[in-house]
Amino acid sequence: MTISSFLSAPTLDAPLLHAEAARRLRTARPELAVRFDLATAEGLRAAHETVAQGQDAGCDTGGVAGDAPGVPTAGGSDELADVQAVVVLRSLDLASWLRGTCEFGLGLPPTSAAAWRRSFTRTVFLAGNPENLGARFVFDHVASDSSAAWIAPGPASETLALRRLLTVFHGTADLPRLPSGPVVLSAPTTGTGSVPAPLWPAVPHIAHVATAGSSLVDCLVDLNHLLAEAVLDGRVRPGDSLELRRAPVLSGVRGPFTAVRVMPDAADPGRLRARACLT
Amino acid sequence: MSVDVGVTTAVSARDADRAAPLPSRRVLIAPVTVTPTKPLTPSHLKGLLWTDVMFRATAQVADAEYRYSPTTYHLTEQTLGFWEFLDRVHGDTDFASLSETEIGDLYVGFRAEPERVPAAALRPYERAVEESGWVHPAASRMLAAWRGHYARLGMHDPGLTRHQPPGWDLDTMIDRLGALGMCLDLRRHGGPVYADATRFGMPLRTIVGADGRPNYLACALRELLPLSARHDEIVLLCDADLEPDYRLLQRVLEQAGPIVHRVTLGRVPIDGRIRSARAGDWHDLHAQALLDRAHESHGADNDAVRLGMRLYFIATLGPGSRQSFRADLLASCLDRAQRLLTYGHAEDPSRAEEFVGPFRAARGTAAYVDPYRLTSRLLARHRPPANRPVLEAVYL
Repeated sequence: MTISSFLSAPTLDAPLLHAEAARRLRTARPELAVRFDLATAEGLRAAHETVAQGQDAGCDTGGVAGDAPGVPTAGGSDELADVQAVVVLRSLDLASWLRGTCEFGLGLPPTSAAAWRRSFTRTVFLAGNPENLGARFVFDHVASDSSAAWIAPGPASETLALRRLLTVFHGTADLPRLPSGPVVLSAPTTGTGSVPAPLWPAVPHIAHVATAGSSLVDCLVDLNHLLAEAVLDGRVRPGDSLELRRAPVLSGVRGPFTAVRVMPDAADPGRLRARACLT
Repeated sequence: MSVDVGVTTAVSARDADRAAPLPSRRVLIAPVTVTPTKPLTPSHLKGLLWTDVMFRATAQVADAEYRYSPTTYHLTEQTLGFWEFLDRVHGDTDFASLSETEIGDLYVGFRAEPERVPAAALRPYERAVEESGWVHPAASRMLAAWRGHYARLGMHDPGLTRHQPPGWDLDTMIDRLGALGMCLDLRRHGGPVYADATRFGMPLRTIVGADGRPNYLACALRELLPLSARHDEIVLLCDADLEPDYRLLQRVLEQAGPIVHRVTLGRVPIDGRIRSARAGDWHDLHAQALLDRAHESHGADNDAVRLGMRLYFIATLGPGSRQSFRADLLASCLDRAQRLLTYGHAEDPSRAEEFVGPFRAARGTAAYVDPYRLTSRLLARHRPPANRPVLEAVYL
């Protein structure tokens, strides 16, 4: 199997953003494609609003960062329960967090991954020290420096006790200093048995994040979704490396693109913005 | 009378074994500090009298220290915010000439302000307190008035008007808290600082806000953590509202070594309701008014007033919060005190340390004396009354 960049346009132009936003909605919630005409701007906007409203209406208490609906959308009798992953951060070491985010995703069993994808890779960011929590809670992945720990996607009720003990990760400062070099992703250490030697050459990825108008937490959310979905789609694999770059906006980034995170502009929902991308 | 909120202690067998023998145990008594923003209410008096008896009784049987530092808590939002408000809104007032109730009324005005000022507005005040021990004239006035009440009540003055800064600055405290594994510091990311006792199943608790403002708990940690190393046993006293904070404080101080006890006292309802300071709940029940009325009815008998107040606020009201304040019961305690002081024969012959010894808390394993059980003993009808030297040592 070879990795091919599926978004071969040279820049992040409007058609590409639209197509990618539609593709993401369609992949996670096929019924949205039936209900709305995702090819049109109005249809896409309506679909995004439905997703956002679902998040506001059915959500449990705070600590949620992400854009998954809290109640099932229309159509489909076999609704899967909404699931969310949890990441606990003692402090933000970007290299550690980037590696951990990818390796956590790489270690998820297929059914868990599918459910999470359907929930738009919803993730709760909590402030806490994994070293103080390990005796009471089971983490599915822990960063090697223990600065962050992840819990696999599950219903919100399963992490209620943890979410009551901790608090939402708050940070108004900028993203901290970027890692000095690329981060190498190793094979997952937990999961289903040993990992065979990779059959493909390692790919050096560059992750770009837009910082204008985004807080620290906004950037983390965007990178989280970008990387989680790229991992679940098989576009980022064990052995690959990841470099992080930031810029106020991503309009200057050259393709081809491995993945793009597109969201409606907060101030102008009819307009789409590239918040993060992988090249 | 029944007790609904009792004394809570946390003593592990391991700690009791290795603790110093009781008479030489170094005990630190640290009640919650009343901010000098309003007159002393019956609830305050109960806590202060409770602490005074505990301290003076414990001092008979252990090496007791009473830590009470308004200086430390001037840095809270409640106090600094009030000072900034006074200067901004009532800057031309001669605060030193105001009465306690007038200052209290201004405090109600402060709490009624719809918006808090930004942290930057409080920084000049914060700096002044930290750098030079500056105190706003309104606070000086209030604390001076309180010294007067303490003197009338025969209470030990733990340094109300003395400059008593906490042992550590904020950064040092955060650092040492981190060394205990109990701090989550997100300042680097523009976030708050939390005290982290999640290891013990307690939720994270903010001690410094994202705006850089430390709260009451941060001040208490700056004051008490450094003192922990010098004591074998610490007794924290607070009211029920502060219990979550104080449970956390207890856990943190325990990690630093000493045995830590926590005593929670219920507030004193007025006409069945516990009112908040915001509403101005003192009216004619504040310390000055109660003392003036007591002296009116019982003449120049200071001793009867001092003993009677303690009989009422400690033994009659008890540790809970079921009973509303009753002036008639206070008056009968003053009468009873007068009788106890003039009795003069068939008294218990015990010296002070023998008399108070059996009333050590935690079934005698703690070094500190339980004021409720001790004071109830004074009222016991079929036991010989306490002799004068005992009363003078602890109650007068």
